[in-house]
Amino acid sequence: MEFLETSVDKFVFRVARDYRYNDADVWAKREGARVRIGLTDFLQQKSGDVAFVNLKEIGTELGVNDELAALETIKVDLVIPAPLAGKIVAVNDALADHPELVNSDCYGAGWLVEIEPANIADYDALLDAETYLPQMQARAELEREK
Amino acid sequence: MTMETFDLAILGGGPGGYVAALHAAQLGARVVLIEKARVGGTCLNVGCIPTKALHASAEFYRDARVKSAALGVDIPNAVVNWAQMQKHKQDTVDQLVRGVEQLLSAKKVTLWRGEGRFLSPHRLQVVGASETRQVEAPRIIIATGAASAALPVPGANFSGVITSTEALSLERVPEKLVIVGAGVIGIEFASLYRALGAQVTVLEMLPRILVGTDEELARRLLQLLRRAGIDIQLNVQVLAIEESQPLTVRYSDAKGEHTAPGDYVLVATGRVPVTRGTGIDTLGIAMNRRAIAVNERMETNVEGVYAIGDVIGGWMLAHVASAEGKVAAENALGKAGAIDYRAVPNCVYSMPELASVGMTEADARAAQIPIKVGKFPFSANARALSFRETDGLVKIVAHAETDVILGMHILGPRATDLIAEGALAVQAGVNAREVGHLIHAHPTLPEAVMEAALDVTGEMIHYQRVRVGA
Ligand SMILES: Cc1cc2nc3c(=O)[nH]c(=O)nc-3n(C[C@H](O)[C@H](O)[C@H](O)COP(=O)(O)OP(=O)(O)OC[C@H]3O[C@@H](n4cnc5c(N)ncnc54)[C@H](O)[C@@H]3O)c2cc1C
Repeated sequence: MEFLETSVDKFVFRVARDYRYNDADVWAKREGARVRIGLTDFLQQKSGDVAFVNLKEIGTELGVNDELAALETIKVDLVIPAPLAGKIVAVNDALADHPELVNSDCYGAGWLVEIEPANIADYDALLDAETYLPQMQARAELEREK
Repeated sequence: MTMETFDLAILGGGPGGYVAALHAAQLGARVVLIEKARVGGTCLNVGCIPTKALHASAEFYRDARVKSAALGVDIPNAVVNWAQMQKHKQDTVDQLVRGVEQLLSAKKVTLWRGEGRFLSPHRLQVVGASETRQVEAPRIIIATGAASAALPVPGANFSGVITSTEALSLERVPEKLVIVGAGVIGIEFASLYRALGAQVTVLEMLPRILVGTDEELARRLLQLLRRAGIDIQLNVQVLAIEESQPLTVRYSDAKGEHTAPGDYVLVATGRVPVTRGTGIDTLGIAMNRRAIAVNERMETNVEGVYAIGDVIGGWMLAHVASAEGKVAAENALGKAGAIDYRAVPNCVYSMPELASVGMTEADARAAQIPIKVGKFPFSANARALSFRETDGLVKIVAHAETDVILGMHILGPRATDLIAEGALAVQAGVNAREVGHLIHAHPTLPEAVMEAALDVTGEMIHYQRVRVGA
């Protein structure tokens, strides 16, 4: 996996090059007819340690921005919106025993669900890494000022 | 043969029977309580109490191993002293049994030790160690309890295949334990022996654990139990037990056949009402499958004969048996009383504990009641954090229009104690705003209940639900 990187203060944020993104810091990655979804490095760092992952069930039909998962951290209950419409066809069972994977390997083993998109063209309409990176950086800088 | 007459005779001295006896005596009746073993029944002798005594030891041991260092207490080699744990358990049981005996004698309840059997709806024969007596009473309460269900598979009669009763008094902590059934008893023993270091496998036929409890909380508990190292297999069918060293349990699932090794195989597939050998079948009492059928006054279809507790099926909990016992005693003595099951707390002493009262989300959906749900995690509760027990949450199910609390479900530290506030709320029809704005002491675990109530009304203070990107 190749990454773009940016740093804000002492924090380094990575962006996987071949992934797609939305402006809620959720990534999508096409795997054949399916799209895998997870949290970006920025979002996982901002959220803190994930203690529990509540995923919607396989078979759930999602519209864009519908809740696909809720992650419990010590600070917040983080509701993750779907970056594109479709049906959940797989969930990451490993998170049941190891929710910390969302933090330790957010682009890999820490993925959340896979969906079958209602319209695969929606995937191509998401942001690519180069477009996402400066947007994310802007949010990270805003965050720092808080 | 001795024949004596009483106002009320009670067959069975468990938490149903002995509480009925004490309450009837309070109401001025001459009461005889008939018990073939020890008063306190299943609950005191081989149920609620011994399990919780061992639970306390196991939890302490686990804490010594996994929590003490973080809290700044070095316990370099905590060791299980099983003989002392057994003694602690037995001392606790014996003290409580003696206590019940003292209460009975203080209230002038006559205790007959022996096995009772109906001769007619108003007459019992009691076969004791030294004599056989008869008692006649215009009112009789049946409180004979329940016994473990058997497992109908080959090999279920091998020694080493045990019920909860033997599981309380094993010679040593087993290295490997297989538990059949992920109901309350199965899950409690799984937590207990896992905490003491056993390798535990739980085999469950259904797709979930603890049927009847809140689905989300049960799923979360399942994950926590698996994280604690308990191997829980759902959707499986036990085929046979093979006599090997250790025993081998053969089971199947969608993928095929598998085996699990166990020094013991604990069968925890349910409890069945005890009616056999009591002559109950000769009275023409209406049954509800294997349980005695009663109405809300605890009356059977036979005039003057009442039934309470595990023998009538249903909840099969000690506190329910006791509540039913009081209702039966009142009706038997001419006072009107009816049982109300709206707010029965249901507790699982797993690690962490799970407790609930009232409606689950699924119950409300089935009854087509519009609901709002409030939640608060223990990870955001200061007291839980200082105990280092932050797994779990409080969940409140409230009516969508009135905010009246319909159910409360708690997974986490001391859930079984915390649920009392939920029982009061459900029984009294309190709304979420009232609980949320009641001043709760800080820092305490019940603050999590308060915050969950505030979440129902959108006023939660110490936790945030954040929609990413919004
Ligand atoms: C391992 C285990 C753990 C449990 N933990 C809990 C818990 O934590 N909380 C909870 O609420 N419940 C718990 N229960 C369930 C609880 O023990 C029962 O719900 C409760 O004991 C039922 O009370 P009872 O009076 O109906 O029957 P029992 O307690 O079973 O009492 C029946 C009594 O009748 C006597 N008897 C039967 N037939 C005759 C006869 N012919 N003549 C004379 N005497 C007779 C028996 O010897 C017995 O003493 C547990 C059960 C088990 C097995």
